[in-house]
Amino acid sequence: MALHDILMTLLQDFPLALFGSMLVGALCGFLGVYVVAKRIVFFGAVLTQISVLGLAVSFLPFVAMSHTLTSLSLTLAFALVVARLLAGKTFPQDAVLGIAFVTAIALRMLILQVTPTVEVAEIEHLLRGDILFVSPELFFPMLATSVLVMAFHLLFFKEFQYISFDAETARTQGFKASVWEMFFFGTTGAVIALATHMVGDIFVFGFLVVPPFAAMLMTRHVRRIFLLAMLIGVSAPAVGLFLAFLLDLPSSPASIAVASLVLIAAWLTHLIRHR
Amino acid sequence: MKPIVQFRNVTLGYGRSPVISNVSFDIYAGEFFGLVGPNGAGKTTILRAILGALKPLAGDVTIQSIHQQPLCFGHVPQRDTIVEILPYTVEEVVIMGRYRRIGFLRRPGHADREIARASLAHTEIEDLRNSHFSDLSGGQKQRVLIARALAMKPDVLILDEPTNGMDLSSRAAILSLIDTLHSTNKLTVVMVSHLLDDVANHVQRLALVERDFFQVDAVGNILTGENLSTLYQRPVSVEHIHGNTFIRAEKRHGTA
Repeated sequence: MALHDILMTLLQDFPLALFGSMLVGALCGFLGVYVVAKRIVFFGAVLTQISVLGLAVSFLPFVAMSHTLTSLSLTLAFALVVARLLAGKTFPQDAVLGIAFVTAIALRMLILQVTPTVEVAEIEHLLRGDILFVSPELFFPMLATSVLVMAFHLLFFKEFQYISFDAETARTQGFKASVWEMFFFGTTGAVIALATHMVGDIFVFGFLVVPPFAAMLMTRHVRRIFLLAMLIGVSAPAVGLFLAFLLDLPSSPASIAVASLVLIAAWLTHLIRHR
Repeated sequence: MKPIVQFRNVTLGYGRSPVISNVSFDIYAGEFFGLVGPNGAGKTTILRAILGALKPLAGDVTIQSIHQQPLCFGHVPQRDTIVEILPYTVEEVVIMGRYRRIGFLRRPGHADREIARASLAHTEIEDLRNSHFSDLSGGQKQRVLIARALAMKPDVLILDEPTNGMDLSSRAAILSLIDTLHSTNKLTVVMVSHLLDDVANHVQRLALVERDFFQVDAVGNILTGENLSTLYQRPVSVEHIHGNTFIRAEKRHGTA
């Protein structure tokens, strides 16, 4: 297929796939800077699995809510409860997250096993998400959530920065650190739930971690880290989708591979600069 | 003299577990007050109660107003509570001290930058303004955190283990800076340390803190071998030579 044909196919036949994955990439890149900076990368991985569990739960016969709403509710509830548990420092962070991670996967498998009405393969397909089959029903709620979450984070950028850098002093200055942490985990949970349903857990987790880390290697200016992470988040899925069409590859892994190549290039440049 | 901080029969702890029970003391405007005790004794817990970050399980903590304004604390936390992954510059860190006064939905302005620069000048690190906080030495980081606390325009400077993990030269320089801020700028200073030598020769009044032991008095009255031996549960001697206080833990008989 010629390059022009691929571009036209993407824009005409898969516009929601293209713009949806770019949207999720940018938003995950932005939020991922905090995820990496707060050393809660595993929390991101757990949230994606809770979100997938939420989708699986929505297939149970007694659950009347939609797939998206069930996943969103469960992910938000989990994010807020775990934020509370982790703030208390009574429980070891790794243990709490590890238990949640493995429990979410086990429950998902059990639910799939006992769900009678739908083909397991069909559910698995839905659970894993697929960039190419982004529907308007998924895209537009994601777009609205993205606008709200970005506006909120940009309006309170300095508060989120302060809490992530030095929560203790922020607290003594009258900032309610626990409330800001709730806002952070709540907004991140909402984005992860919707995005996982739309583009899959691997894509979401990959873009929460890879673009921010690559950006951190590229610049030592905090605002530029956020901008670069978003830029990589926007561009890697576009290039990834293009390569997926060109080379007949799966689209999510192709997008993550592109972001990872950027990361490797940033790391090599970093190594050379600091020799 | 009127106290600005009053503790009356205060019990502090986390959850339902008390860390320190039934303590009463005052801190007065303009004084240099120290809190000393072994690790885990509850010194930082007392600081958190002063700062309003921890509510007492029992008793009353009263913070007085100055000129009808709530008392403003400039907090210098322990350095290991700071997450240094994002490469903030020194100036960005100091400006964080202005965030409360700036308020929501507003960005730091020219005046805030001027105050941050004046605070950096005060702590003699103007030349580090564009350096990254994470690249600095322990002593330099401590100066940045003190500068950030000064940018809050505080009535009381509160320092939690400010010389922890520093070499002798950096420790002396930081303590000298704190002395200057107290004497020249007339700041009330509250300093927590588990290093007795650090506080013995700098503070005016001292609280010795341990779970079952709490005593407050002027340094000369409280730093006795008897008190310190009780606090640390081993023989401790105190000597005064040429106006300086020297504290030494004696070897126990039969121990290495």
